Amino acid sequence: MSPTQILEIEDIEKHFGGLAALDGVNAHVESGKLTAIIGANGAGKTTLFNVITGILPPSAGRVKFLGQDITNKPVHEISKLGLARTLQIKSVFNGMTVRENLWIAAQSRDGVFKPFQRASASSRANQVADQLCEELGLTQFANQEAANLSYGDIALLEIGIALATEPKLLLLDEPICGMGPAETEQTVEKIRNLAKRIDIVIIEHDIEVVFEVSDEVIVMAQGKVLARGTPAEISTNAEVRTAYLGDDDDA
Amino acid sequence: MTPDKINRLGIVAVALFTLLAPWILPVFVDEFWVDIYSEMLIWSLLAASVNLLFGYVGLLSFGQALFFGMGMYGVAIGIAKIGLGFWPAFGFGILLSTTMALITGFLAVRLTWHYFAIITVVFSLIFYFTALSWKPLTGGDDGLSFTMPPIFSFGEETAISLTDPTVQYYFIVLMVGACYALMGVVLKSPLGRAFRTVKENDMRAALIGLNVYMIRLTAFVIAGFVAGVAGALFAFFGRYASATYMFYHVSGEAVVWAIIGGAGTLLGPVVGTTLLITLREELSDVWEHYLIVVGVIVIVVVIFAPKGLGGLWMGMVNRIFDKSANGNQPKEGGE
Repeated sequence: MSPTQILEIEDIEKHFGGLAALDGVNAHVESGKLTAIIGANGAGKTTLFNVITGILPPSAGRVKFLGQDITNKPVHEISKLGLARTLQIKSVFNGMTVRENLWIAAQSRDGVFKPFQRASASSRANQVADQLCEELGLTQFANQEAANLSYGDIALLEIGIALATEPKLLLLDEPICGMGPAETEQTVEKIRNLAKRIDIVIIEHDIEVVFEVSDEVIVMAQGKVLARGTPAEISTNAEVRTAYLGDDDDA
Repeated sequence: MTPDKINRLGIVAVALFTLLAPWILPVFVDEFWVDIYSEMLIWSLLAASVNLLFGYVGLLSFGQALFFGMGMYGVAIGIAKIGLGFWPAFGFGILLSTTMALITGFLAVRLTWHYFAIITVVFSLIFYFTALSWKPLTGGDDGLSFTMPPIFSFGEETAISLTDPTVQYYFIVLMVGACYALMGVVLKSPLGRAFRTVKENDMRAALIGLNVYMIRLTAFVIAGFVAGVAGALFAFFGRYASATYMFYHVSGEAVVWAIIGGAGTLLGPVVGTTLLITLREELSDVWEHYLIVVGVIVIVVVIFAPKGLGGLWMGMVNRIFDKSANGNQPKEGGE
């Protein structure tokens, strides 16, 4: 393994009955680069994320994170190794306050099986939560239930929750899906800033955004990796154009 | 005044009433209500056990009477069959229920929602029929009665025992109070917050590195412990154990008490239990179909106050406070 490969995906297959959602995926993520995964609906992008994070067991193949085999490890253990992700359908703790959302994610690093300690006495988690509130511009909503936030703020909070776990690699599943132009611009800016300090893999449908933020693009089609390269290489790749980008030609 | 302070005042009021009930209640109603009140406190623990699972971890158990029954039989069998003293029998009952919660929980918390509800019913039925048919040990249909051993005895003559009504009342208050204090501490701890994440969104909880299975199991065992204390206290209270109290309709009643009182609030179960047992005591003499009234109350509460009376109270307190202040204050409702 090369030390710069933070994530290695080897011959991953995932079958749902007779359907091969992933049909032998080989890919790796290099540290220091923002990697984007693109592909049509049903190409297997989210399924791949689910396999990587332990939500779905693969039918075959291996996933290595930081050189360690994480295939078939439980979701929470993979998180503890430093792999965080957001979900395509925004997923936060709706009935808890914004601050509590960030707090519990931070506390997960120090352990939660402390039944006789006061939650409010966890100074590190308190600090991380307050700092992230500030950083994400959510301080004014800190004590509001997450369910009351706007869609864009929920997406931000979800990223914040992932960050509170101090990940080494962050997987973002369509982070700007459903956002207006202003929110999109804001979020893209945030992602670009984040990429300076942690490794990010992003699934995104918006090709413009992908080409704007990413250093490396992986194109998936029908459960396989179709192509890989820099945005410039991908945009000129004939195979990709016909299989995927071609649809956008008339736009 | 903050909502927090108002709620604390409420808790102090309930505690004061409970401590002074042997003097307050006889002024207004018949003296046997002191006894009924201590029984309500015991039953409220069973509702609290349901609440801990449903209100905080999101698991709806219809089998908590199983652990109540284990605590009850532990005490009765400990005293009548094994010849244990007061405290060892109490400990035996609690140990039995907690162990049972660990074993059944090991399997049950792999499931959620209706599957979880069904398996808890199945477990409680299995042991209900076991208790019913294992006559030599449990007394079967007749139940198992015992003579109360003293709590403490000094020499031959003097002993403190639950046969003294005042001792019994305060013993029950002390133990029930200790259980609520314990739950209060746990719910305000990191573990308590982890409970709520599992209820809110178990996938997200796992994704931030929380071991959802272990968190559910821990909650299940604590709930089994609390129900076990209730069962042990109930055995002392009635000086006997009976399989009747292990039947799943007892579990179901506890679910109703917890939901009416307010799932997800610490003292909601006390409110729900006292209210519905009072209704039962008052109405069942007058009208044999009084359960219809209970049913209507449940429907009304579930529709108009889905968070129960406890939730209604929290909402009111928060709203009154929001009006009098700028409305940007922390809500402590969930803890």
